[in-house]
Amino acid sequence: MTEALELKSRLKDKGVFLAGGTDLVVGVAKGRLSVEHWIDLSGVPGLSYVREEGEELAIGPLATHAMLERSAFAPALAQAARTVGGPAIRNRGTIAGNLGTASPAGDVSVALLALDARIALVGSHGSRSVPIRDFFVGPGKTRIAHDELIQEVRIRRSADSAFLKLGKRQSVAIALVSAAVVRQRDGRVAIALGSVGPTPLRAARAEAHLALAGLAPEAIGEAASLVRAEVTPIDDHRASAEYRRAVSGVLVRRLLEQLAASSKPESPARA
Amino acid sequence: MIGSTPEAAGQAERSWSLSFTVNGERHELAIQPERTLLEVLREDLHLTGTKGACLEGECGSCIVLVDGVPQNSCLILAPQMEGREVVTIEGLADGTVLDPVQRAFVDHGAVQCGFCTPGVVLSTKALLAGNPHPTYDEVRRGLEGNICRCTGYMKVLAAALAAARAGVADDASGQADRPRP
Ligand SMILES: Cc1cc2nc3c(=O)[nH]c(=O)nc-3n(C[C@H](O)[C@H](O)[C@H](O)COP(=O)(O)OP(=O)(O)OC[C@H]3O[C@@H](n4cnc5c(N)ncnc54)[C@H](O)[C@@H]3O)c2cc1C
Ligand code: FES
Ligand code: FES
Repeated sequence: MTEALELKSRLKDKGVFLAGGTDLVVGVAKGRLSVEHWIDLSGVPGLSYVREEGEELAIGPLATHAMLERSAFAPALAQAARTVGGPAIRNRGTIAGNLGTASPAGDVSVALLALDARIALVGSHGSRSVPIRDFFVGPGKTRIAHDELIQEVRIRRSADSAFLKLGKRQSVAIALVSAAVVRQRDGRVAIALGSVGPTPLRAARAEAHLALAGLAPEAIGEAASLVRAEVTPIDDHRASAEYRRAVSGVLVRRLLEQLAASSKPESPARA
Repeated sequence: MIGSTPEAAGQAERSWSLSFTVNGERHELAIQPERTLLEVLREDLHLTGTKGACLEGECGSCIVLVDGVPQNSCLILAPQMEGREVVTIEGLADGTVLDPVQRAFVDHGAVQCGFCTPGVVLSTKALLAGNPHPTYDEVRRGLEGNICRCTGYMKVLAAALAAARAGVADDASGQADRPRP
């Protein structure tokens, strides 16, 4: 790790960190990207972990989607990891790489945004922690400085969470829209969406409404319509902005209904 | 760690020494570091069973096992395989005796043009290693990263399920007839 950071501060923009390569190697193959020097992290021992530490989950820089898929710590995270690519992609693609790519469609990135993850960055001048809300700057752009890398991602335990994604087919499909909701232990509800703006985004107005109105059916309906107004999707070859807007409302409504059903104390154990 | 010194930057040909195991055999190669595992397997080791089609992770025809785990060899830069164990389709049969998964694919007519077959067989192999008694849905999910343009998948799924049953019959626990979920 120290060697990787040292190489990076020497090579600057000419050195590119490589993890699973599921974004980078495709970028090179398609001619979108040319890399002078690779700094391969994949062989560095001890970086591939997902572990519960008390009330927190710590995700290492080489933790893969396949590893998160098996974690019961936050349902939204496991569900999001489960929708990435196919099994071989999940075996190779990392969570740090998903954040590093900073695609508005990054499934795990959307779940982590709803979960208020904190991203620990380490550089030649020490380390710092960035809240994920401040992390994404634009498509492919993050707050990672040129000499920094993602050292760890952490989330706190929440009461419940869920993730849904609509793609063109059931697997190996980029999200047309994705959404994650989280009920914190103090009752606050967070909502994040993917593929409906330049970065994964939080639906702040819908969240504020739920903070006042709770998860009653009318409040959920109102939150879904606030979400439709809040998202900023574009038309592209996969779907129109109008369709994405409508689907955003549907996904958020379904997710909030799930949260409401599971938070009723008298409700039977969920299947 | 890959990454030549800045002094070496701009040199057209960089050479990287790679030492890894393929199908149980150790190889020491001098390669250009930006080549993919797929290219090195096919062009340097002449293991042409591994196929390349989309070259961007979408189709699964290039899947090999890396330390037992299925991965797309078109997305791996060869130097990342330092010290790893790779199994390709050539590594499954024992001489002329096919692996039970291969046998099941032949018996069930799950091979047509055959281009997807090495990847599908290796995905099936890994699936059964982790879950010897998969349900139909688990097999579908396990193979969701493998595209086949010929078979329509029904025979592939039948073959994978039959291989699971054959595996059960093979193991000495004598539970071959146990009802399955
Ligand atoms: C066929 C296919 C299907 C896919 N489907 C999906 C999908 O459904 N949903 C989805 O979200 N994604 C999908 N992806 C994208 C991809 O798998 C993920 O974004 C993956 O998580 C990237 O991780 P990686 O380790 O492969 O990253 P790499 O390609 O190695 O790196 C990606 C970026 O992150 C940077 N990076 C990596 N590690 C670090 C670190 N520790 N610190 C700082 N920067 C770092 C790299 O420099 C690079 O900029 C798909 C990709 C393919 C090829
Ligand atoms: S050639 Fe690698 S997935 Fe298609
Ligand atoms: S048999 Fe032809 S692609 Fe599958």
